[in-house]
Amino acid sequence: MKKFFALALALAMTVSLAACGGGSTPPASGSGSAGSAAASGGSDKVYKVAMICDSSISDGGWGAACYNAMEAAAADLGWETNYADSVAQSDYANSMTGFCDMGYDMIFLPGNQYSDATVQVAKDYPDIAFAVLNGATTLPTENITSILPDANQIGYMAGALAGLMSKTNVLGFIGGMEIDTTKAKLAGFEKAAKAINPDITVLSAYAGSFNDVAKGMELANGMISQKADVFFGDASAVDSGARQAIDAANGSGEIAIFDIGQPADLVALGQNPCLIGSVVTDNAGMLKLAMQDVEAGTFGGKTIYGSFDNQCLTVGTFNDDLVSADVQTSYMEYINQMAAGTFPG
Amino acid sequence: MDIGELILSTVRMATPILMVALAELYSERAGLVNIGLDGIMAFGALTGFMVSFLSGSPFLGIVAGACGGVLINMIYAYCTISLCAPQIVYGMAINIFAPAVASFIYRVYFGVSSTLAQATLMPTVAIPGLKDIPFLGKLLFDQTPMVYFAYLMVVFTAIFFNRTKAGLNYKSVGEYPKAAETLGINVIRQKYVACIICGALAGIGGAYLTTCYVNTYSDGVVAGRGFIALSAVIFGRWSAGGVLMACLLFGFCDALQLRLQIFNTSTPYQLFQMIPYLFTLAALAVLGIKKSGPASNGKPYMREER
Repeated sequence: MKKFFALALALAMTVSLAACGGGSTPPASGSGSAGSAAASGGSDKVYKVAMICDSSISDGGWGAACYNAMEAAAADLGWETNYADSVAQSDYANSMTGFCDMGYDMIFLPGNQYSDATVQVAKDYPDIAFAVLNGATTLPTENITSILPDANQIGYMAGALAGLMSKTNVLGFIGGMEIDTTKAKLAGFEKAAKAINPDITVLSAYAGSFNDVAKGMELANGMISQKADVFFGDASAVDSGARQAIDAANGSGEIAIFDIGQPADLVALGQNPCLIGSVVTDNAGMLKLAMQDVEAGTFGGKTIYGSFDNQCLTVGTFNDDLVSADVQTSYMEYINQMAAGTFPG
Repeated sequence: MDIGELILSTVRMATPILMVALAELYSERAGLVNIGLDGIMAFGALTGFMVSFLSGSPFLGIVAGACGGVLINMIYAYCTISLCAPQIVYGMAINIFAPAVASFIYRVYFGVSSTLAQATLMPTVAIPGLKDIPFLGKLLFDQTPMVYFAYLMVVFTAIFFNRTKAGLNYKSVGEYPKAAETLGINVIRQKYVACIICGALAGIGGAYLTTCYVNTYSDGVVAGRGFIALSAVIFGRWSAGGVLMACLLFGFCDALQLRLQIFNTSTPYQLFQMIPYLFTLAALAVLGIKKSGPASNGKPYMREER
């Protein structure tokens, strides 16, 4: 009897282990298939896109934003979607191969970290389109496209607002990992803020993680004690820890320490009182451009840039209680100068 | 650098690790190496957050975290104690299984959105008298009740294992279970009790993260703290006081490296992130690595085996 139990339990454990490792194997059913099939109608081919994500798609940050972008773009064009999330780095290629074998037309990879695996898999599946968000400009081949929000512009847009709003002349920047796009955002943030106010210093630090919310809180606390009063971050869930620390430091009194959100319009969502504005990245818009390329058969061999010009980067809702109309006006002037290429010089 | 802020940050960062390290101490003292702490914490963090979010009471959240932790650890307990399965394998299975279940439950309930659900945090309670001690009082005696609980647990554990009959009986199960059995100690029951204590404390450690520290839950919020706790037990030579020192040292180094980063933007941050681990290595080298853990640690106990 005991032996039997042992066997049964071992079996159950193996199955559950396999199921857990199965974050890397695609789930069987796609979401929204019924609706999109109806939308495209008739005998038209129903295109299918799948996303691989190393973080969770419900992380309230990067993963969620990318997943929602794919859903939005797919809903517009009548595509079917699917995803695999919390995929370990060692399983990127396996997971992609799985979707390729299931007949997906496009694989969406939300980050530069998938580049190596993408190059490896894309060689074996020349008919399938691979879109790498934040991919390098050297990455594109015949069936790989890089989708790149202009990280410099994101930095400029946040830096200009921070430069206008800071009273202590100290700004804080919290990154997750030292990746190229984060470095570019930090550089842009600093440059724009200093162009507006040369006395500004920028404190920066990396949490070494995109998930460790507590580290974001500790880093923000450290920066606040160094008089930083406007924050910008590029670290998904870690950003929410930073905002919590800022809200706590503001207490119930006047809000004197601010945060600038990204990539969603966080002020409109009303999440934290310290948010003064957001730099909104329209990943859906950029992804849609790539999807239309697939439909038209012109996919691959290029980088799709998301910038202020093609409206893939926009200024989010302002917090009118904290940002005066005068500041908003002069901020928009700087943004227009940026679009014209004269700011920050 | 603000020393007060640094100490405060050290206490905040060390507390969850301390709670979970004590959990592991109770487990290993009964001969059960449980490397599934990270998983138990993740599940405790979720149940703690959900209950605190829904009921509005962080205290209920802590209780729920403890229950969730026990529930998950019972899988490990049954397999390793009753079935004598390898402890490392099942600990690892818990590490894979529990966070996935936690993230599944969160996603089913809250869905996938860019907004994070935020719960209320446990308020701090100042201890009258002690909090008026200059400088240190404000730092050490104006914390959430869970911080006091963790430090009281250290004192209790030290007394329990060294000064009480029950504690010595408990330890004998981890040292030489066959001899313990001949003296009328119910080894199997004692091991199950150890798993219940371990699950509850590790669950509380996880729930502390989401009810006293940060006000949101996100996948990966535990961020490897379970493994740090595991090493803190070895580092602390399987004694409550040693574990406390190990956790405080690690918490201090981590708090220090985060602050050093802010001051030296030009130095590569990876160098600072090594500090806690370098300190641990150095301390291990100085303290020596002579074997001092429970003798039967990690070995399955089969009552009828000769």
